[in-house]
Amino acid sequence: MASVTLRRLSKVFDGGVQALHPLDLDVRDGELLVLLGPSGSGKTTVLRCIAGLEEPTTGDVVIGERIVTHAPPADRDVAMVFQSPALYPHLTVRENIAFPLEMRGVSDAQIARRVLEAVARLGLQAVLDRAPEKLSEGERQRAALGRAIVRGPQAFLFDEPLSRLDATLRIELRGELLALHRALGATMIYVTHDQTEAMTMGQRIAVLHEGRLRQVGTPEEVYQRPADVHVARFVGTPGMNVLHGRGRGTGEGERVIEAGSLSIPIELSSYEGELQVGIRPEFVDLCAVDKGVGNADVLVVEPLGSETLVHLNTGGQPLVARLPGFADVRVGTRVGVKVDRRRLYLFDAAGAPLA
Amino acid sequence: MNSRVWAVGASAAATVAAALVLIVVTTAQRRYERAFAFRMAGTTAAYIAAVTPPPPPPAPPPPPPRRRAGLRGRRQTPPPQPPPAPSSLSSAARSYDLPSLLTQARALSTLPGWSSDVEVYFGTAPLVDATAPPLSPDDLQHLAAGGRWRNGVALVPVKDRDGQEVVGAVAVQPRPAPHGPLPGGFGFVFPAAILAVGAAATIAFREHSLRRGGYVGAALLLALAGYLDVRAAARQSTDRWLVDTRRLLQEAATRLPPPRTRVAITDLASMVRGGEIVAGEPGESAPRRVRIDGELRAVVAVLIGSGRWIELRSVPAEAEASTWLILLVPCALLGPMAIGALRWAERTPARNRRETALAWGFLAPAALHLMIFTIGPAIYAIYLATLADFRALLRDPLTWNSFVTSGAYTLYVPISVALALGAALAVHRYKRKGSRLYRAAFLLPYVSSVVAAALLWQAIYGAGSLGLGRADWLSNPNTALLALMLVSIWVHVGGQMLVFLAGLDVIPQAYFDAALVDGAGAWRRFRRVTLPLLRPVTWFVFLTGVISALQMFTLVFVLTQGGPSPLHATDVVVHRIYRTAFGPQAFGMASALALMLAVVLLVFRWPQLALLRRQARHA
Repeated sequence: MASVTLRRLSKVFDGGVQALHPLDLDVRDGELLVLLGPSGSGKTTVLRCIAGLEEPTTGDVVIGERIVTHAPPADRDVAMVFQSPALYPHLTVRENIAFPLEMRGVSDAQIARRVLEAVARLGLQAVLDRAPEKLSEGERQRAALGRAIVRGPQAFLFDEPLSRLDATLRIELRGELLALHRALGATMIYVTHDQTEAMTMGQRIAVLHEGRLRQVGTPEEVYQRPADVHVARFVGTPGMNVLHGRGRGTGEGERVIEAGSLSIPIELSSYEGELQVGIRPEFVDLCAVDKGVGNADVLVVEPLGSETLVHLNTGGQPLVARLPGFADVRVGTRVGVKVDRRRLYLFDAAGAPLA
Repeated sequence: MNSRVWAVGASAAATVAAALVLIVVTTAQRRYERAFAFRMAGTTAAYIAAVTPPPPPPAPPPPPPRRRAGLRGRRQTPPPQPPPAPSSLSSAARSYDLPSLLTQARALSTLPGWSSDVEVYFGTAPLVDATAPPLSPDDLQHLAAGGRWRNGVALVPVKDRDGQEVVGAVAVQPRPAPHGPLPGGFGFVFPAAILAVGAAATIAFREHSLRRGGYVGAALLLALAGYLDVRAAARQSTDRWLVDTRRLLQEAATRLPPPRTRVAITDLASMVRGGEIVAGEPGESAPRRVRIDGELRAVVAVLIGSGRWIELRSVPAEAEASTWLILLVPCALLGPMAIGALRWAERTPARNRRETALAWGFLAPAALHLMIFTIGPAIYAIYLATLADFRALLRDPLTWNSFVTSGAYTLYVPISVALALGAALAVHRYKRKGSRLYRAAFLLPYVSSVVAAALLWQAIYGAGSLGLGRADWLSNPNTALLALMLVSIWVHVGGQMLVFLAGLDVIPQAYFDAALVDGAGAWRRFRRVTLPLLRPVTWFVFLTGVISALQMFTLVFVLTQGGPSPLHATDVVVHRIYRTAFGPQAFGMASALALMLAVVLLVFRWPQLALLRRQARHA
């Protein structure tokens, strides 16, 4: 196992699209790091640069102690699992898993032993000699996993391996992946756009947005202390509410932020001018009209059982409130809005956090 | 109520089918009657020419009085009766003596035992029935072109002795003959039609009282009855000709002009074009069918003098009568098909019915095209080819040569497939760098006309350019086939490359990425990943390549004509078929050869279809 380090890595594609702005990332030996970002954020490009499937425009890829920036994929000793299982349809499960070993000239006896080991770990013994098309979705993705672990590589790269599976299977395999990580103690870089997956799996999460690395931190850090407005919006289900507003003093020593139809009192020193105020849906509550920091119209009500999401319109800006249980809110009515003032996040107009 | 509507429709369908069969049978009977009339008229014309002497050479005194006596009542001006005929003296010797002609014509019309009415024209004037209308200019035009059918009368020209000019005509009108063996001259087809319609109506109105297959049986019976009637008509037409011609031959034996005292068979033989005469033995008067050297012949014995028998032979018309089954069976089956369609419509919801009708509407043009230009000719080829043709083909070394040549020629396919695969891999790899240009360059030969490509290469080979050095690539039997193969490769690589490229494009990139990460080198990636994933495409390209190579004709036709000549070095199967069909007009042999090729093609077509089915299942 080895650490993976990216130094000032950037990528400009042939058409001139800057997929990645220079970024530094240090994945520790044995760590499971999740690269999180919406589609088009450049997370897969990072992974392909590490694997050697793309050559970075600038910067270096370091695996362990070796700079492998220009080494072919075969020489990097990493394993990759793709969104589609990419099992060769003309080979059986056994042959598919044996393929990387065979390519490396491992002896037949070794291959047989290691394939059986990998298969036992993944519970694929029963389907060993089947063709991929005869497997279930889950078995296929497990077999792809087997092809990755059989080699014992320096690092594992996962490119949204669960995104094509249905919800139940995804949760099941997520658990297995975590167990595998614990058992192997392997360095893993896991790309996903699903922030739930990121929160549950990552020891650390690296958030990418528009080709820039926005924040690297534990799930808690990323959730509690988002580095900028993009991270705040992206992490959490639903993400943080971000209202555009303006801070001003009222002349009586009080300061408020006026955002849409809301007027939120604050206790910050730097408040003047354009800013953005963030608040997680769970810290938004509803009350009678004119009793809160402002009023809003109810647009959509989503009862989910354990909670109810209420989508509001506050003077042209959307706001989501998360209420416990089945809340008695009707679409089209006007309600008052309360916010937990201690849970406000303030960002400047460009999205950087205010002190 | 609904079922009543259905029953009426089914009965109507059956009636229409029966009517169609009747129409086909009647048409066939007319055709055979017409064929008989023309044949008889031709024979009569030959008879007339044989038995009538030329006019006496010098200006004869007065024509023989006794002959004109018969005419005196009607015609006032005796000497030059027929206007155009004796116009030129030089051709007079080639023409016929009118008085004797008149005698012969009159004698013909009273010939006992003839089944037709006959008229002979000299110039445009009728000789037998002088009050009949003369030939019209329109008739003359048709006569010059070989004859015409007019109101149940076959009109054929009588030519001068050199066969140059039309000097008259013979008209033959067959007297109506009974059209079938049943009482009243009815054929089997009438009762069968009534039976079939009755069966359909019974099934339709009584619903399931009879098995539905019962009507199919009735319909096939109808087709069979129709065929029997057609066959009877064909047989009758041959028999009538035999019997009537026998009468003519006997007449001719007594009437041939003087110098011949004893009639030679050869003199008579010239009269029966389309038949033959051999010395025979006494026989019964009815025509018979016998096998002569394996071929069926209709024969009749003719007595042409005391104790002299000859045998008149002809190909029996009924030998070809089975062709009519091609029309009769579909017509008869139209009934069951319509009934099946009605039953289906009755059971199926309106929505499905509309969809199916729509689907067939879309399919109809293609289906029709397929029926007329593919299935029809194929069936016809099967019909044309006889076992004897196959036997003859198997004995012919040229057949074997053509298959060997085609087989050898086909060997270019693996080469072109390999080249196409290589080119596709290269273009695929350098996708971003002007691959459109590559594609266009490779595709150009494929989309241009094969003839144009052939001519281009003819020029190249002829000049020995492109470093080929010699100029005899196409004329040297050792290199001609190779030269053709080279052109084929040049033509086909582009199209095949495009198919490979399309195949490569649909392989998910993840396979190649995975192989890269797994540490496979370029060769192993190709051998273990690319090639297996392209296997269906490769098979497709290979099989279609082989099939089209086996069907190749154009290149050979344009470049070598199957030559260099005596050696047939490039005489591929399709070219051989062409040569057989359009050289000696041996369509049976050509069809047989085509069928042999079809069997070979089927061997390659079958896995190709299996491949397509598998792909369709996966799609």
